[in-house]
Amino acid sequence: MTTLTPEDVRREPASQLAAGVGGGLLVIAGQELRDIWLSARGPAIVIGTSLLLSLLTYLAASNEELNIIDQRDTVNLVSQIAMALAVGVSLLFTADCLSGERERETLESMLVTPVPRRQIALGKYMAAVSMWPVLLLVAVPYIWVLREGEGVFADAMLGALVVGTLLVIGFASLGLLVSIFSGSNRLSLAVAFFIFVLLLAPTQLPLGGWFGDAITQINPMTAGSTFLHRVIVKEHGWGEDLDLLIAPAVWAIVVTAAAFIATGRLRLQGSFGR
Amino acid sequence: MAVASLTVDGIAKAFGETRAVGELSLDASPGEVIGLLGPNGAGKTTAIRVLTTIYPPDTGCFAVDGIPYTRPSAIRQRIGVLPESAGYPLNQSGEEFVQYFARLFGQSRKSARETARTLLTEVGLAERAASPISTYSRGMRQRLGVARALVNRPRVLFLDEPTLGLDPAGQRQILALISEVATERGATVILSTHFLDEVEEVCSRVIILNRGAVIAEGPVTDIKRRAAPRTARVRIPEEMHESALAALRRAPGIAGTHAINGARGLMSATLEGDASGKAGNAAVRALLEVGIPILSFEVEGGKLSDAFLALTGEAGE
Repeated sequence: MTTLTPEDVRREPASQLAAGVGGGLLVIAGQELRDIWLSARGPAIVIGTSLLLSLLTYLAASNEELNIIDQRDTVNLVSQIAMALAVGVSLLFTADCLSGERERETLESMLVTPVPRRQIALGKYMAAVSMWPVLLLVAVPYIWVLREGEGVFADAMLGALVVGTLLVIGFASLGLLVSIFSGSNRLSLAVAFFIFVLLLAPTQLPLGGWFGDAITQINPMTAGSTFLHRVIVKEHGWGEDLDLLIAPAVWAIVVTAAAFIATGRLRLQGSFGR
Repeated sequence: MAVASLTVDGIAKAFGETRAVGELSLDASPGEVIGLLGPNGAGKTTAIRVLTTIYPPDTGCFAVDGIPYTRPSAIRQRIGVLPESAGYPLNQSGEEFVQYFARLFGQSRKSARETARTLLTEVGLAERAASPISTYSRGMRQRLGVARALVNRPRVLFLDEPTLGLDPAGQRQILALISEVATERGATVILSTHFLDEVEEVCSRVIILNRGAVIAEGPVTDIKRRAAPRTARVRIPEEMHESALAALRRAPGIAGTHAINGARGLMSATLEGDASGKAGNAAVRALLEVGIPILSFEVEGGKLSDAFLALTGEAGE
């Protein structure tokens, strides 16, 4: 028996960990992107979104009797639908990405490759958020057709890009965070979806008074939604409502930082819901 | 002298109050196939997960190819693993699957493609390489799992229940593959299994675990000799019972003899030594020399399964 003494034991050199940086991450992200976009999942979501936006645009643009909201509102609605779908889908994809691998018993094989655990998680995360730029592109022709007045198209696209990016990053990170610790895919999806609905619901409620204002400011979904509404519908300048971007930005930074730290703690079994 | 490809020094792992593995030590050389045996819950899978860097050990240490366990990423470069319940992405083809893992081990796209084709040919899946994994039988999936575990030409290959749920033909294929990996590639194979016949067939050494503790370790023949003495079951005419017992007691290599269930004419003799058959021959000679006709003579025991049951039964008592 060759006995190893503590002196024999050296810490893993940083260079060893760095050797895999990028390589494993890109291979995993590439495979996940193929899984999403070359399977039925990604294209089905894109087609579904296109159909929904087509219907909405058709009603708004062609039938004045049915069209009860003006076109600026419709542009806002199209932007927000594309954004909400991207947030929801990215969230569900990341919520599934690790707990789903656990449940399908494919995670262990990944964990015994030399790819660092953080790269495994981030590769999957990158693929999941790819849904957002695609859905934003899908929304472009609809917003273009519905635009009315100067600058609406630019405001809508830029507003949706900024707010949507912050929200997608934050919610996808939330899904990843839940997935890292969840032992069960069902639980992971349920928790992530519950939080999504909880934060999305106030955007559909008439919020007023100091409590309503507080919710609007604190909740990243309501803050982002209100910001878009003011820029697109109320024609506010970007500088007037920048405070509404604080909640989405803080949400994106805090949750992403938490998820990034947690990726280093990725384990074969989840911490809860086994 | 060959350098040990796997050195394990007293590793232990517990989950809360439950000891999963305690004080496991071993040295394994290149080309050696070591069987990891034990009843359900013995700690085999946990031991493999510690050695494959999935779980850190609570105490003790190990090294693969001289790389200490504190460098898990470097260890993973040198090991291949077929987990106990390996899942597969059913929509991928076998070739895509193996290629993907070769890429995760740092191979270029071209090299990964070649690796996948070579390995799938070696495991007999070349013709189905382009088919989706969803169309593979269980045996084919296990062979695919072995191919995947070999993408990095591992120095140590860990196989956790690789033949579970396979038909005899599938089992034979996997066992042949294991022998080939050890002899032709010079890899050390750690084979965890419930099937003791498999261990006798391919393993040079075994480690028997029970409730997290190592209860026996050594070459298969030693374990069998130590834990499962062979016995001879002898039937002779009833009226010659006493004289037969006396003759057997005098014979060399007979450790003990007694009537079975008190029946006259039916007795058991414990044979000393290994499976060479000398003690059995001596028993037969002793009876014939005193003129006792032998109606039947059967040698029992001396199998790894007997040793396994004896050891795990004792440990459980």
